[in-house]
Order: sequence, then structure tokens, then C-alpha cells
Amino acid sequence: MIMRPGQPLLLPASPLFIWSSLVVALLLNMLLNMGWLGRASWAPDLLALTLVFWGVHQPQRVSVGAAFAFGLAMDVHHTTLLGLHALAYTVLGFLAALIHRRVLWFSVPVQALHVFPMFAVAQTLVVMARLLSGGTFAGWTVVLAPALTALLWPLASLILLAPQHRPHAPDDNRPL
Amino acid sequence: MPLGTLDRTPPPFFKQGPSALSKLILFSALAVFLMVADLRFSLVSPLRSLLATVLYPAQWLAMQPVRAWRGTGDYFQTLADAQASAADSHAQLATQAARAAQVEQLILENQRLRALLDLRSRLTTVSTAAQVLYDAADPYARKVIIDKGLAHGVAPGSPVLDESGVLGQVTRAHPLVSEVTLLTDRDQAIPVLNTRTGVRSVAYGQPGVNGTELELRFMAGNADVQEGDLLSTSGIDGIYPPGLPVAKVTHVERRAESAFARILCAPSAQISSASHVLVLSPAGSQLPPAPVAEPAQARARKPGPNTSARGQAPNPKE
Repeated sequence: MIMRPGQPLLLPASPLFIWSSLVVALLLNMLLNMGWLGRASWAPDLLALTLVFWGVHQPQRVSVGAAFAFGLAMDVHHTTLLGLHALAYTVLGFLAALIHRRVLWFSVPVQALHVFPMFAVAQTLVVMARLLSGGTFAGWTVVLAPALTALLWPLASLILLAPQHRPHAPDDNRPL
Repeated sequence: MPLGTLDRTPPPFFKQGPSALSKLILFSALAVFLMVADLRFSLVSPLRSLLATVLYPAQWLAMQPVRAWRGTGDYFQTLADAQASAADSHAQLATQAARAAQVEQLILENQRLRALLDLRSRLTTVSTAAQVLYDAADPYARKVIIDKGLAHGVAPGSPVLDESGVLGQVTRAHPLVSEVTLLTDRDQAIPVLNTRTGVRSVAYGQPGVNGTELELRFMAGNADVQEGDLLSTSGIDGIYPPGLPVAKVTHVERRAESAFARILCAPSAQISSASHVLVLSPAGSQLPPAPVAEPAQARARKPGPNTSARGQAPNPKE
């Protein structure tokens, strides 16, 4: 792989950490829903964020299939039509695989700008599927959700990449 | 083997697996199939029950910080608050004690009068106490999840009450939890009786973004409905026992251009903050069986087409 300029060489990601971070994101989503935000339509989707993050950073580990499975879990938790979030997350997983070679060449804020349209597409899919299956429109605050999710991208980059940063061990005899 | 480090084995033939596009097509088709199956046919309810049961430990885990936070709030509640709430409860108990004392006697009297009049005895319903776990996160619906399910004898369709009135109805029962659709959900309707006039109608969940009201639809523009009228369950639907408070009329708007009045009501139950609820068994399970349909020969002998004969068939719910 070509090294990207100005970015540190990272340790390989531990599969255990990847999957446990996804489960923790699911739990955090539930916690936000049950303890704080209730059924607010603008709530950021931390699970979608984590799925896209690993879809971009570790496309061979986390991909469309995992996104689909976590989407089913979200559908059951939300008591929505089974398959609604699964479809949205599937599309997110595909879009993450689509941009994973390019997006990491940019700085983290620009990466957030790249992932925002993906979350917007996923949210649009959810709203469209709701309208087609005979639901109502939940109000314009739904447009805030993808923006808030994309705003959390730098935080996700900080937390989820932390275990891969090499511990600092200065060695006077070795220039690198 | 961690990915992205030195290769220590010969590369496999199909390292990449199926392409992202093929996976997208496969899983999107599966998701769309699941949605259609969920919407049109009830094929996927076993899958949903299974997932809900698997997910329950995770939900329980995620609830623990919420419970701890609420517990701390209760712990630091001041003594004055606790005393005030205890005094309130005593006052409420005193006002209800007189009525409660009469109930036994009234039930007996009612039984005898009904026996005299040869009416069917009133239904008694079995109830289960439950706790509301959380509001469903779906911003498009009004649902809550309670901590009792099929394992505790909760059946789909059961009415759910809180301390001040009807809260909603169990729409999906999983093994350990159940989904309760609140009265304010746009797809929910409840047959009601105006306790002042005795007129029956149906209250629908009010559509809208933050709809916390019910609407009485298709009431004539000159119908006798006033603000402040109390609505209770009518008991003719085979689900809700009669006489439970449902709502209070808050707004009546009669418009000249419309044949129907626009009537809004506020639910009696604490729709947005109920925490302890009572699940009743559906009254329909105790109703007498519906009369047997007429045999085809008898219908054929009747004058007129079959459709009219079918139209006169007795309604099983009445």
C-alpha cells in the first residue's frame, strides 16, 4: 500500500476491538434512545458512524454483510418495519467500500465532509421507505441527524484509531 | 492473521470474496423482501421475536446506566418532596376509599339486577402489572416497550392501562418484552362512548409531528359534543372492557363548509410519562362464540343475490 503523506503508520487493527466497538456503538444508540433523547428524530446514529468508519478503514473486515446484520438489530430495537435500517446500513456499507481508497488521503475534517452525503443518502432512504409504507413525515428535524452524525466523525477517528497508534518509544540509535 | 501485514501464506484464489456491488444487490434485495414480507404478510414475526429475545440482554445492559441515574435522582429527592407526595397519596386514598367501599356492594347489586333482567354477566378480566422499559426510538410512531411478554401471559391485542386511563394496546408480543402502541399513534383507533350523552364513536390517534391528542372523526357537524365531555371505552369492540376512561374533549370546531365537526380530545392516561402499567387480557376471549353462518342451501333459497344475504349476516362482535 502507498503510504499517505503526513499520516502515521498504524498498527494492525484488532478484530476483537472492531467488533466490540460496533457492539458498544449499538449499546450507545440504545442508551441515547432509552435514557436521553427518546424518539427525537434528530438523534445522531452512532452505529451507522462506526460501521462507516470501519468500512472505510478496514474494508476487508467490516462490510455490507455486517452492516445488514446490525441494521436488523436496529430495526427490532426501533420496532420499525423489519429491513428498513438494514437497507440503509447496507447502502452505507457499499458507499463506504466505494470511497475507502480515496477518502483517507484527506484530513479528518474533509473526511467528515465526504461521509456526510452518505449519511444523508441513508436517511433519505429511511424517510422514503417510511412514506412508501404508509407512514407520515416526522418533521424537518430529520435533516439534522446526518449532519450531527458526520460532525462526530473526528471524534470517532480519535477514539477508534487510538489502539492502533504505536506507543512512543524514542531510540537514540535509530533515526526512524 | 492480521490483515495488512506481511503475507506468511500463499494468497488464496478468491481473496476478495464477492464484490461490494454484488453484496449490495444481494442484501438490498433481502432487506426489501423483509420489508414487504413484514408489511403485507406476517411472515417475519418469528424472526423478529427471535431477534428481540437475542437483543434483550443488550437492552438490559444499556438500561443499567439509565436506571442508576434515575435511582440516584430518587435517592437525593428531598424529604419535603417525599412527605408531600405521601400526603398527596393519603388524600387520594381517602377520596377513593368511600367509592371503593361501595364497589363490592354495587357489584353484588349489579349481579342480582342483571340476573333479574336475564342479562349476560359482566366480563371479568385478568390483569398483569408491567413496567415501561423505554419509548421506541421510531420518530414516526408512538410506541413503548414493556417488560412483560408471551412468557408472562401477555397476548397480542391486550389493552394496556395506566393509573388514570387507557394507554394503548399490545401490538406485538415477544417472548420477554411486548410493544404497546399508544392511543396517540396515527394507526391506532379506540371505540369510545361519550359518558354525558351515551353516543358511541371512534377516537383516532392524531396525525402530526408532535401529536399528543386524539381525534373523534366522522361526527356530524351538529353532534352533541361539548368541551369537557369525558370519553370512556364502550365495551362493544371485544377488546377493551367497558367504562375505562379514555380521553376528555378539549376542542370542538364546527365548520360550515364541512359536514363533520373537528373534535380533539386529550388522553386521560399519562401518554408520555407512564412508567407502571396494567395489561388486561383481551375481553374478546371471554365473549360467547359468534353464531354459526347459515348453510349455503338456506342462503340459496332466499330471494336476492348472495351478497345481500351476506350483508345481513349477524355481526359477531355485537
